[in-house]
Amino acid sequence: MISSAHAATEAHAQSSGLPQFDSSVFGSQIFWTIVSFLVLMYLLKRYVIPAIGDILDNRSKKIGDDLQHAEKARQDADRLLVAYREQMERARQMAAATLEEARLEASAMRDQALTELGEELAKKRAAALDEIERARVQAMEDVQAAAVDIAMLATEKLIAKSVNRAKAEEMVKDAVSHLEQNKASLH
Amino acid sequence: MLLTTTAISVDAAHAAAAAAPRMDPLHHFQVVKYIQMAPFGLDVSISNSVVWMWISLAAVFFFFRYAFRRPEMVPGRMQSVAEAGYLFIRGIVDENIGPSGKPFFPMVFTLFFFVLFCNWTGLIPGSFTATSQLIVTATLALGIFFLSIFLGFYKHGLKFLGFFVPSGLPVLLLPLMVPIEIISFLARPVSLSVRLFANMTAGHTVLGVLFFFAATLPWIGSWLPFGFSVVFTAVEIFIGFIQAYIFTILTCVYINDSLHLHH
Repeated sequence: MISSAHAATEAHAQSSGLPQFDSSVFGSQIFWTIVSFLVLMYLLKRYVIPAIGDILDNRSKKIGDDLQHAEKARQDADRLLVAYREQMERARQMAAATLEEARLEASAMRDQALTELGEELAKKRAAALDEIERARVQAMEDVQAAAVDIAMLATEKLIAKSVNRAKAEEMVKDAVSHLEQNKASLH
Repeated sequence: MLLTTTAISVDAAHAAAAAAPRMDPLHHFQVVKYIQMAPFGLDVSISNSVVWMWISLAAVFFFFRYAFRRPEMVPGRMQSVAEAGYLFIRGIVDENIGPSGKPFFPMVFTLFFFVLFCNWTGLIPGSFTATSQLIVTATLALGIFFLSIFLGFYKHGLKFLGFFVPSGLPVLLLPLMVPIEIISFLARPVSLSVRLFANMTAGHTVLGVLFFFAATLPWIGSWLPFGFSVVFTAVEIFIGFIQAYIFTILTCVYINDSLHLHH
């Protein structure tokens, strides 16, 4: 019993070296490792590596193109912005010029209008003064004539024969000169 | 009296050991030949290791074919992942070899995904990890090693031997330094293959032990190793990636050393 158990243990101990060192399986594994490796390398080289390489190249090319396009678009946008700013600046200048022009024109027109108005007022004033003067002279003459008539009538009625024409005119003249002297108070 | 009790207890212990489930975390590294073939003395038997190598290979190929079934200028999820993988390897090649590394890109690309998917498919329960086989990693590493030697002589002729003579050293030191350089050069395929194989083996062994305990312990204790095994599976996914990455980077470094002698 004991010896058989020992024998089993010994057999186990002998067989429990690393199986990797069992040289009877070396040959086939060397052969198949080489063949498998070469087959895999052929398959990958033929079907896999070019596919991945292509897609990566295409992508990097596309990204490069896209970047170029983006750069171009950016430059275009920059140019547009500069042009737009220039246009804006020009418009602003034009507006300022127009405004200034309008302001000058308006002020000229106002000045002219004022001058014309002044002239017209002066003319009207002069005309009015003339009119007044004329009216005054007319009035004076009318008054004088009326006074003469009144004086003659009155004299005729009052002193009938005692006063002749010459005397009467002298008296009227006196009266008129008296009126002349008091002209200021008549106005 | 004492002797007999001991004998009986030892006897009982052996009996119990024979009856109990046997922990064998190395069991799943066992290569099993499904079909034995050796035409012309060449052993081309198909084993679980080879089958899972093919499954990994098919997974790599169909993953990329699926991701690129309809390539779009604006990539979808799978396409993005595939492109990220492609750019990742291109970055490694550009960084470590430079522009002259372009012809090696398909090889490095294949190498990375071959190793990565072998590492990862090995984590599927019941599967087999081809990269946990020293002979598989050694085949890859020796392939790279011989490629770098071939490239060195192809590009530089006999001047490539100057690779072993560090410049700017006193002549007296050369008898010491040249053998060291040669040994370190020869150690490259060993370290390259053993690193990958050992990492995969260790990781899967730990997972095997954890699963064994999770399956055999009473329920009150089994949740602990089970929880660890879940966490460790995640760690293994990371290690699978890191090891593939290291394997690829070192390949690029070795190729670069052969293309550009700078010593």
